[in-house]
Amino acid sequence: MSSDFEAYEQDFGTLTAEITNKIGRIPKLAGEEKTQLVLNVDKQLEEVRELLEQMDLEVREIPIQSRGMYNSRLKSYKQEMEKLEKDFKRSRIAYSDEVRNELLGDDGSSSESQRAHLLDNTEKLERSSRRLEAGYQIAVETEQVGQEILTNLHSDREKIQRSRDRLRETDANLGKSSRILTGMLRRIIQNRILVFILGAIILLTIILAIYFNLRGH
Amino acid sequence: MDNTGKEKEAMQLMAEADKKVKSSGSFLGGMFGGNHKVEDACEMYARAANMFKMAKNWSAAGSAFCQAARLHMQMQNKLDSATSFVDAGNAYKKADPQEAINCLNAAIDIYTDMGRFTIAAKHHMTIAEIYESELVDIEKAIAHYEQAADYYKGEESNSSANKCLLKVGSYSAQLELYPKAIEIFEQVATSTMDNPLLKYNAKEYFWKGALCHFIVDELNAKLAIEKYEGMFPAFSDSRECKLLKKLLEAHEEQNSEAFTEAVKEFDSISRLDQWQTTMLLRIKKTIQGDSGDLK
Repeated sequence: MSSDFEAYEQDFGTLTAEITNKIGRIPKLAGEEKTQLVLNVDKQLEEVRELLEQMDLEVREIPIQSRGMYNSRLKSYKQEMEKLEKDFKRSRIAYSDEVRNELLGDDGSSSESQRAHLLDNTEKLERSSRRLEAGYQIAVETEQVGQEILTNLHSDREKIQRSRDRLRETDANLGKSSRILTGMLRRIIQNRILVFILGAIILLTIILAIYFNLRGH
Repeated sequence: MDNTGKEKEAMQLMAEADKKVKSSGSFLGGMFGGNHKVEDACEMYARAANMFKMAKNWSAAGSAFCQAARLHMQMQNKLDSATSFVDAGNAYKKADPQEAINCLNAAIDIYTDMGRFTIAAKHHMTIAEIYESELVDIEKAIAHYEQAADYYKGEESNSSANKCLLKVGSYSAQLELYPKAIEIFEQVATSTMDNPLLKYNAKEYFWKGALCHFIVDELNAKLAIEKYEGMFPAFSDSRECKLLKKLLEAHEEQNSEAFTEAVKEFDSISRLDQWQTTMLLRIKKTIQGDSGDLK
């Protein structure tokens, strides 16, 4: 009798261990596997219930003196089974990390992903600030180049103004010189005319002198 | 090959020209075609000089130009003489700086005689540049730059005058003639302040002037900065002004590290040039010198 009971106990132990294992795995699975495992666990729970009933019958056949110990053991087994059933029910509706990860992508644990995220952000910030500084440097250089160009423009402006003034002066001077030259030309022509006239008069005088001489003879 | 041929031609021309000059010295030559001959000789000298230039024999070219110039002077051809002297100066620049300076000085005398101050000023600048670069005689360079600036001011070309004055200022500060440098920088800065084209440069001149004040005495620098800010409000916005204030603080606290850091920060954005770094180094030495005394 008690050996039967012990055999039942052993079976009970193995079955509960298996059920606990399967209950642990159920939340991680989904779909077909899950339903299969759930059916498995259901069957095993049925078996466990039958075992308990048989253990009960056995205990009744045991003489009353030694019944107490077996009774208490039986009670504890029944409690364990109820707990297993509760766990089972909970596991069927439990969410687990696995499902979540499958939905949101294959990360490791969440704290690691946050850390990588933060490092990424810091690097982006550093890159942007470096670019800003480079941009500022270029702006300052541009300003300096602009300054130089402005000074050059200013001095060129003065040069051009001066050249323009000089050009006007030269123009006036050229006008004056051309007037002088025309004056000279006029005088030359006058002189030449005078020379011709004088030459003509002298010639005339010589001719008249010769004529009078011949006439006088 | 080609060059040596040219040189020989050039020497021949020189010899011919010499003969002509000598022959015109005799009485008859002087009566008849003296001037003509001297003119010819001048021209030949000039051609010979050009050939020497082609052969890259700079000193011979220079001497040929000088001879031509003297002949022009004889003929009272001042303008031609001056141009020949300038050519001689240019040729000598590459070979013998001292001779170049002599020729250019002669040219300047002729120009100032004729009243052409602008071009005289330009040649003063050339001479000063030669002193700057080849002969490294800073004081003479300063003197020439000053002359040039005065002539430019006389001819109302203020921007060229400012250019020369700035050089005078930087070199005087380098030679530790601080009062003069300060005066020059302030003068230039005030004159550029109003001009809309040039006002962006004014802050740079104020910055340089304030640096010179700083080297002399820190209190001077503070007063100067306040004065400049009153005259020219945009100065207070500039990064240079902020750097100055930081440097003043560091100097008060005798903290050379803060000084170096402020300078480094400024330098990272826009490089400091040679002159400014020298000045800042002098200021820094005064800080360290003072802290050495305290010890």
